[in-house]
Amino acid sequence: MSAALAIAWKDLKIELRSKEMLSAMFLFSLLMVLAFRFGFEGSVDAGDVALSDLGASSLWICFSFAAIVGMHTSFAKEKDRETLEGLLLCPVDRSSIFLGKVLSNMVLVFLVDLLSILFFSLFFAYDFEGNTIAVVGIAFLGTLSLVLVGTLVAAISVNARAREALLPVLLIPLIAFSVIIPSVSATRKAIAGDVSEAVGEIQSILGFAVIFGAVGYLTFDYVLEG
Amino acid sequence: MDKSKLGRIILVGAAILMLLTTYLAVIYVPLPQTSVKSADKILSSVEGSRIRVAGFVSDILNLPREFNPAQVIRFSLADFSDYQRYLAAAMVDQLDSQWWTVRPIDVEIYEVPKLMLAGIVDGPQDFIKGTNLSVLARVMDKGIGSNSNVTGFSLETSSWNDVTIGTSPGQFGIMTAPVAQKIFYFHMPSAWVSYLAFFVTLIASALYLKTRKIKYDRWAFCSAELGVLFSTIAITTGPVWAKQEWGVYWRWDDTKLVTTFVLWLVYIGYLMLRASMTDTGTRARVGAVYGILGFVTVPMSLLSSRVAPLLQSSHPQVIASNSGSLSPEAGMTIGIAIIAFTLLFITMLIRRVEIAESEEELEELKRTIGGED
Repeated sequence: MSAALAIAWKDLKIELRSKEMLSAMFLFSLLMVLAFRFGFEGSVDAGDVALSDLGASSLWICFSFAAIVGMHTSFAKEKDRETLEGLLLCPVDRSSIFLGKVLSNMVLVFLVDLLSILFFSLFFAYDFEGNTIAVVGIAFLGTLSLVLVGTLVAAISVNARAREALLPVLLIPLIAFSVIIPSVSATRKAIAGDVSEAVGEIQSILGFAVIFGAVGYLTFDYVLEG
Repeated sequence: MDKSKLGRIILVGAAILMLLTTYLAVIYVPLPQTSVKSADKILSSVEGSRIRVAGFVSDILNLPREFNPAQVIRFSLADFSDYQRYLAAAMVDQLDSQWWTVRPIDVEIYEVPKLMLAGIVDGPQDFIKGTNLSVLARVMDKGIGSNSNVTGFSLETSSWNDVTIGTSPGQFGIMTAPVAQKIFYFHMPSAWVSYLAFFVTLIASALYLKTRKIKYDRWAFCSAELGVLFSTIAITTGPVWAKQEWGVYWRWDDTKLVTTFVLWLVYIGYLMLRASMTDTGTRARVGAVYGILGFVTVPMSLLSSRVAPLLQSSHPQVIASNSGSLSPEAGMTIGIAIIAFTLLFITMLIRRVEIAESEEELEELKRTIGGED
């Protein structure tokens, strides 16, 4: 576990110094919410669209795309700078590398989640009121599941040609039904204020998080080998 | 030598069974009967006898605002054979401008019992036009001719226990498009074979990671390729039927359809991943991991409509369901079809693996002659 923490800390430290990913993800989520704001301006003003629907879907578009960008870079950078070999030479379990990467990705993506929620609240002049904790909590759970499977798939796709294009192709079908649909549904309920009705969705997200975590933890050895 | 003989037997068996399936599906199996009673049938039955009728609510004659336990809710139930026209009208929002008084079945429900009042207060939401209903009712007042709106009889039921509300005619075992149903004998076995193929990929991938024998990787890849082929067949034959039965090609609100689509995309991704890597070792290793990970979507699709559905599913459930029970002839045909498709898959898989072996051998020879590497 300490090895995982060390790897995560290393990633975060690099990120803090360069701020490459964070600034890209930050701008991305800002632009995304802005685009939604302008795109839906008329219907929001007229009250034609429920803000809980719009909020849930636009937030999850931000979350998942920011996650894909972030997770891709976390391995692609190591590969390009040829530091992946160094990481593999570390006298630690490969599974610790997986955990470390999951941790650092989780921190970054969750930060973007929080920013997106803030931007949404700001641009749509929407007050989450007492639902903030529920919305943030569901964002955390969904992002956890997303990062668990995404880190593994990013490690898989980093070996391929055209890896930038391949990661979404491999990842989106996997997360579509297991993470995105239940998370959007749960977020919608949370924004509308009845998070207690979202038990089924939360169970589903947690279940898949366990499955993805277990598969990732067990098979990561094989992905990074050689 | 023995092995190739066995392969040939399977091939011949698959071919014969496929022909047999086609014959049985097209000619032998009778069209599924709808259990909707025709007006004639109702008129010929004894007054007071109980019959089960099913249809969709085409008109609500008087839906009281406030429920009075003694009040009568009258609605007309139209035959599902009108369902296509109804769906088409509903889609362009022209229900009101069309004539919906075909009414082969008219149902009147008298004297709602007090006991069921709670259920009835929730009722009106369900009792919109288009709701699918099945009612066990008594035949009453045959031959009423004075009211032109009534075809000549009325039915009544006194208990809400006799009323079943469904999401689709299929839930009552009624097919609105009996001819299109024949595609089922090819659709369902294809879907089954694709699940089987992805299962083979899972097992072969795990075996590859354990033993590092390239032959397992070959099996995993070839099986996934065939799985994609068969799931493509399943995913394209489904809409052909759905257009007839549901009136639309695809429904995004249906768990089964969405999860199967996702499954299909995952394994196309698997093939793309394999295609984008040149190094055999890496390709086999990484492919195996994705082959294992991707299998998560198989139970998701297979069990989607049974295990805690987040969305609804109107996709018929054939096995382990009490609604869509098959006639003995249809059961036999689907059984033979499944065996035929499984044998077809096995023989195709064997051939595909042989081709993959030859391809690798050819690469090897090229390299030896070319002197590269």
